[in-house]
Amino acid sequence: MYRGREGQWAFLLHRVSGVAIALFLLLHVLDISLVMFGPDGPFDAFLAFYHNWPFRIGLLMVIAGVVYHALNGLRIILMDFTTWGVRYQRQLWYGVLGLTTAIGVPVLWIVVPQIVGGI
Amino acid sequence: MEPNEAQESIEATEPNELIETVDIVVKIKRFDPDADSRSYWAEYTLTARPSDRVLDVMHHIKWEVDGSLAFRRSCAHGICGSDAMLINGVNRLACKVLVKDLGSKIVIEPIRGLEVKKDLIVDMDSFFESYKAVLPYMINDEAPPAAERLQSPEERARFDETTKCILCAACTTSCPVFWTNGSYIGPAAIVNAHRFIFDSRDKGTAQRLDVMNAGNGLWRCRTAYNCTEACPRDIPVTRAIEEVRRAMLFRGA
Repeated sequence: MYRGREGQWAFLLHRVSGVAIALFLLLHVLDISLVMFGPDGPFDAFLAFYHNWPFRIGLLMVIAGVVYHALNGLRIILMDFTTWGVRYQRQLWYGVLGLTTAIGVPVLWIVVPQIVGGI
Repeated sequence: MEPNEAQESIEATEPNELIETVDIVVKIKRFDPDADSRSYWAEYTLTARPSDRVLDVMHHIKWEVDGSLAFRRSCAHGICGSDAMLINGVNRLACKVLVKDLGSKIVIEPIRGLEVKKDLIVDMDSFFESYKAVLPYMINDEAPPAAERLQSPEERARFDETTKCILCAACTTSCPVFWTNGSYIGPAAIVNAHRFIFDSRDKGTAQRLDVMNAGNGLWRCRTAYNCTEACPRDIPVTRAIEEVRRAMLFRGA
């Protein structure tokens, strides 16, 4: 593994979260489209499938990925369009991580008891 | 040189109670196209001075342990740009990094993304093709004035940092985009385009921007900053790329 610094990890996380979001979006279009088969169609069964544990964890990670991807996208816009963004890219990235955590922890606080409780 | 002197210079790298030495293990990724089907790790245990450069250690291996080790170097003082290598996970010049800054274990690989010819020697042809593609020379067909083409200190300072490039390829071969897409023009070429685009005497900006606006041009950059961290000349590479991008974006259409 190349021992890059913050910028490399920011890029890698951005790429991984982007791929995860794109894959989930495809899956989401698929599951929503199942509605057209009516109330007795496969829609309910498919959504029940989402309640498998790997999916529950995965969906939480997709939420984290969306938040990170959005915030880091703002960081990239600042780097592209300001003269100072590149100079402060590390600080900006720590800000992105901090904000992602600040948004993610309350979400976990609300969601995890619910999924453990089996709602 | 007297034979005695040569003898002394070899002994200077041997353990000596007057000179502080450290035991180090050097792992080098080696490949001989005539003998090996794929690369392998060779390990050398030796004694070095903390103030030795990695290049000194490699000379010691080549001259006294295994003469078949192949690597490039020329000036050995950080100017010629021949000895860029992947040392302990980071691209740097072997002549600019000291043993004491690496610890007792040193891992050396060829720079990535270019075909390995032998050991640490890679095929740099595509790297220099990308460099040539950005027309890295002054373009100005206007009639020259009677004296020089004058430039103010401020105009000169505008591109000062990108004049420092030594074409060692440490930046381009640290780029994750270049590793997976060898056709990407790469940070080194963009840095050298920047050097002329922001030169007030140069008139070739439109031609250079056209080259870099192509599919594998500067829009491929994903701002991973490995180039900026790797540059042995401390050129703010990513900043230069972003400046060229903005020049392209906001050029009079």
